Amino acid sequence: MKLYRIVLKDIVRRKKRVLFAALGVAIGTMTVVGILTIALAGQARIYNQLEKYGPNLAVTPAINNVETQLGDLSLGTLAVGENYIPEEKLPEIRQIADGEIRKALGITDEGNIATLAPKLYINTEVKGTSIMVVGVDPKEEIKIKTWWKIEEGKYLEGTDQALVGAVAAKLLALNTGDTVDLNGNAVTVTGILEETGSNDDYQMFVPLETLQQAYGKEGLISSIDIRALCNACPVEVIANAINQNITGVRAIAVKQVAEAEMGVLERMNKFMLALGGITLVVGLFGVVNTMMSSVNERIKDIGIMRAVGASRNQIMRVFIYEAVIIGIVGGIFGYVAGTLLAYVIGPIIFAGTDIGFVLQYLPLSLALAIFVAIIATMYPAFRATRVRVADSFRSL
Amino acid sequence: MLEVKNVSKVYGGGAAKVVALRDVYLRVNDGDFIAVMGPSGSGKSTLLNIIGGLDYPSSGEVILDGKRIDNLAENALVDVRRGKVAYVFQQYHLLPSLTALENVLLPLIFCGANGGSYKKAMDILKKVGLEKRAGHKPSELSGGEQQRVAIARALVNEPSLILADEPTGNMDRKTGGEILSLFDQLNKEGHGIIMITHDREIARQAKEIIVLQDGQIAGKINSEEGGGTINVKEKVV
Repeated sequence: MKLYRIVLKDIVRRKKRVLFAALGVAIGTMTVVGILTIALAGQARIYNQLEKYGPNLAVTPAINNVETQLGDLSLGTLAVGENYIPEEKLPEIRQIADGEIRKALGITDEGNIATLAPKLYINTEVKGTSIMVVGVDPKEEIKIKTWWKIEEGKYLEGTDQALVGAVAAKLLALNTGDTVDLNGNAVTVTGILEETGSNDDYQMFVPLETLQQAYGKEGLISSIDIRALCNACPVEVIANAINQNITGVRAIAVKQVAEAEMGVLERMNKFMLALGGITLVVGLFGVVNTMMSSVNERIKDIGIMRAVGASRNQIMRVFIYEAVIIGIVGGIFGYVAGTLLAYVIGPIIFAGTDIGFVLQYLPLSLALAIFVAIIATMYPAFRATRVRVADSFRSL
Repeated sequence: MLEVKNVSKVYGGGAAKVVALRDVYLRVNDGDFIAVMGPSGSGKSTLLNIIGGLDYPSSGEVILDGKRIDNLAENALVDVRRGKVAYVFQQYHLLPSLTALENVLLPLIFCGANGGSYKKAMDILKKVGLEKRAGHKPSELSGGEQQRVAIARALVNEPSLILADEPTGNMDRKTGGEILSLFDQLNKEGHGIIMITHDREIARQAKEIIVLQDGQIAGKINSEEGGGTINVKEKVV
């Protein structure tokens, strides 16, 4: 029989006390594991987006928001600038984009390289429900939305047709073959998209010309998505070149947006980890408290062990073994509870994230919990070994 | 051989100062059986604790087999408790979560003894007549049985001196008598015994009786020669 068997037997006898201490450890580890799990899911989501939209640029009309004030009172913001991009700027933008890619890749062939997908957004009512209708160039759009899948019907082929997002189709009860009235122009629903988890689900897509004619916006577009075709393409350089050479538009690389988002996420993670650390410390005090009373109620047992030949180190070992067991129990609890916490809270922070058990956090959780339990046990155990054996009996 | 030289023990200070032992001198030869008597608070347990290294004297010396133990550091005292001196308490002081056998094994575990421990512990349990109760926990044993386990635990490291603090104090006369004859047998096998007791009949089984009063030795008699009369002030017993 070994020393740890004595500890095990004693723990079995005092399971409630030990569980209570383990709970204190678990709360701290739960917070840390929860935060890490959510952060990981959030990062995965951003990386996923980066991969999907990474080589893309968005070109929008340059609009400045000007704060209007009366004295110190804000009267709101005024949008100054054009709301649309003239269609004739498309070739210029293409030239710049292709030119920069050629320069970066060192190629000289003529032809189009980048994909430019112009869009016109019109917010309108269909069957009494407000909906965003997007005018697109069908051939270009499908090159950008490579992840689009048609659930029913087929993709846009000619004018006066409409492709409806999954949620919009459900809300408006639209099926293929139905006709939709757009400001007096009838379009026929030719296809319905599968759910994508993005804004596309809530929108209706029609050919650009059809929408421009229906709303009198000939020659106007709201934005342009540019796909640079290669992951190594210098999207930031293209964006800068467009911003410098073409007036009235603003180009931004999606990568930059994602990177900014990542930065925000990282700062948030640090803040939450600090909170988790505080929880851990608070939990630590709880465990110190529990261990303190656990030690006190065993002063006599400690005296017995020392009277029959236990050294101070052996008594310390008894408590450290106990701490390790408390840590293991608390670590497992904390890991499971932390993942559950992330499962509940994660989707609130990052819509559409997939949260499951992250196995690599289990050893981390165990190590953290054991560390906390041992730290919390050291002082009470040290005090226990300082009690004179004779006193440990006298106090009873 | 144990020698207690001019040992004093003072608790507290100032007005709350309590003198538990005053200049006690005692000499115990190997194989002696000494009974310590005296009223409550006369310093009997304090004396025993100091001899066993569970407490430190305020002054004086305790010499065990030619080596001072009163000034030993805690880590060195552990060796005394592991080998030469063993304790038997009135309250048995067994660990409640362990079985009788495991309680007997405890000193061997702390000594780091390997192989043969189980057999040794079992043999000793057999010696105190408890081999059939080896797997029971203290709460399932009677007082007499618990004290036998405690005695077995004291014996497992083969101590030269057994310190017993009122070992039969919690027992009826019959059970107490059985425990006492066990001590008698151990003494015959060569273990020195110092036993605190309130019971004059029990004390008579010892070779020598020491009477403590107010922390001082008030009288000593050799029971084999003294014919059973304790030659001290009447109010003592």
